[in-house]
Amino acid sequence: MKGRNLRWLGYGIAALTVAFAVVLASRFGSDPGLVDSPLLDKPAPSFALSPLEGGDSVSLAELKGDVVVVNFFASWCLECRAEHAAITSTADAFADQGVTVVQISYQESPPASLEYLELAGRSDAAHYLADPGSRTAIAYGVFGIPETFFINEEGVVVGKIIGESDALILGATIDAIKRGESPGQTVTGDTSQQPEG
Amino acid sequence: MSERLRNLITVALIAVMAVALVVLVATNPSDPDRIQSIGSRIKCPVCQGESIANSPSTMARDMLDLVAERVAEGRTDQEIINELLGSFSGAVLLDPPASGSTLVLWLTPVAALIFGVGVILWWRRHPPQVTTAETDAGTRRLAPLMILAVAFGAIVVVAGFFLQDRGGPASGVAAIDTENLDDVSNETMEAVIAANADHPQVDGMRLALAERYFQEGKFRTAFPHFLAVADSTYASDSQVVTALVRLAGMAWEGNGEVDAALGLLDQALAVDDGSAPALYLKGQVLWCGSNAFDESAGLFQQILADPELPDESRQTVQNDLDAVNARTACT
Repeated sequence: MKGRNLRWLGYGIAALTVAFAVVLASRFGSDPGLVDSPLLDKPAPSFALSPLEGGDSVSLAELKGDVVVVNFFASWCLECRAEHAAITSTADAFADQGVTVVQISYQESPPASLEYLELAGRSDAAHYLADPGSRTAIAYGVFGIPETFFINEEGVVVGKIIGESDALILGATIDAIKRGESPGQTVTGDTSQQPEG
Repeated sequence: MSERLRNLITVALIAVMAVALVVLVATNPSDPDRIQSIGSRIKCPVCQGESIANSPSTMARDMLDLVAERVAEGRTDQEIINELLGSFSGAVLLDPPASGSTLVLWLTPVAALIFGVGVILWWRRHPPQVTTAETDAGTRRLAPLMILAVAFGAIVVVAGFFLQDRGGPASGVAAIDTENLDDVSNETMEAVIAANADHPQVDGMRLALAERYFQEGKFRTAFPHFLAVADSTYASDSQVVTALVRLAGMAWEGNGEVDAALGLLDQALAVDDGSAPALYLKGQVLWCGSNAFDESAGLFQQILADPELPDESRQTVQNDLDAVNARTACT
């Protein structure tokens, strides 16, 4: 191979290396949990879960016609503790406006969640449900908590908040859904993945 | 051993291996194998780069249980994976999907292989005919370019790492500017205020909501919010003065309570003795409520002494001062 060809070969390899580095760099540090949920604008996965205290199960089907706010939480999740007051006040504030808040315990035993709720407070208007086998968390594609899904009156997932919510974001999302809009996915901050972490 | 025998043994070994391979591929794996196989392709969503087959986390075990249940139901591997993709997206696969931006990850090794084979073939057909000295000279010329390319690649990698979007508001309502409350309903603001009653920054929203009620003529609803801002230890002087002036206005115009209004305005002026709205309203109350023309005129003159008073306001205050000086009854 002549010197000129060798040089062009070197240029080619260098260009390919740089292009590959750019592609890889664009994915560095990205959190796979921040991808848009495939559930958006699709019918919400159904569930029928028992309250943490036991008793009759609550199903998504029986809440159809309401805007349903599904929040996955746990006592070991700091972001969940931070947003808890806002979730509770939202459940109270919108209870008579056709909005139902459902909080589903994630990766935690019902007694532990109940003990936490005893201290953190709860809304009479909200449902606090257990999720044995994480079936509902899997169906909703939960990567970490808190994750909050918004289901419109027709049972379609139209919004999702990843990370800590506050009353303004929750209220504005509900307002948007009431106006017939699909607020989509919002990332507000970090999530917790598991009790150890 | 003759060469023929050696060839026969080689052929026989290859044939046995081929048959074994066919049998392995053609035989349906057992259910536990299928569960492990599918589990090894699914990324544990709460772990760092581990499959659900290998992770000890509860979520991984729950997902593997789901896979086992689906296998027992007779679902195909692809159906099971599609179900998880429908919930988690492609981010749940350990191997990136061979589409979109990750397609290059799959194509690059293939392209590199083809490229390498091409180079070798080219090399064999065109053996180097340059002298060692020429080759060394070419290498010396190429070296700086290669170093530059590698350095540039490294810079791109580092820059990509630091410039990565680390999860700010992606879309939707979190993009709402909390200073711009135009699109936020009264009910939402009430809920926010209720949830953050002791928050230092809630007074701005409370004042905005009270002002909204005030403009809508809902004075009874506005009243407690103005009162809360006036009493708040976190509210700025400007917010307190605004709330006190509104309370005074409602006390006077709504209930005709002159003394209560003057008391509230004195509180406002104790916070900011140059507040034009407080001075003007006090002048109006004294003029219209008490016929205290001289005191009223003094307050109007104090407002007019401010060189930065807008022309429109100056004209209004001047008209009132003229009327007061003429002892004209308040209308």
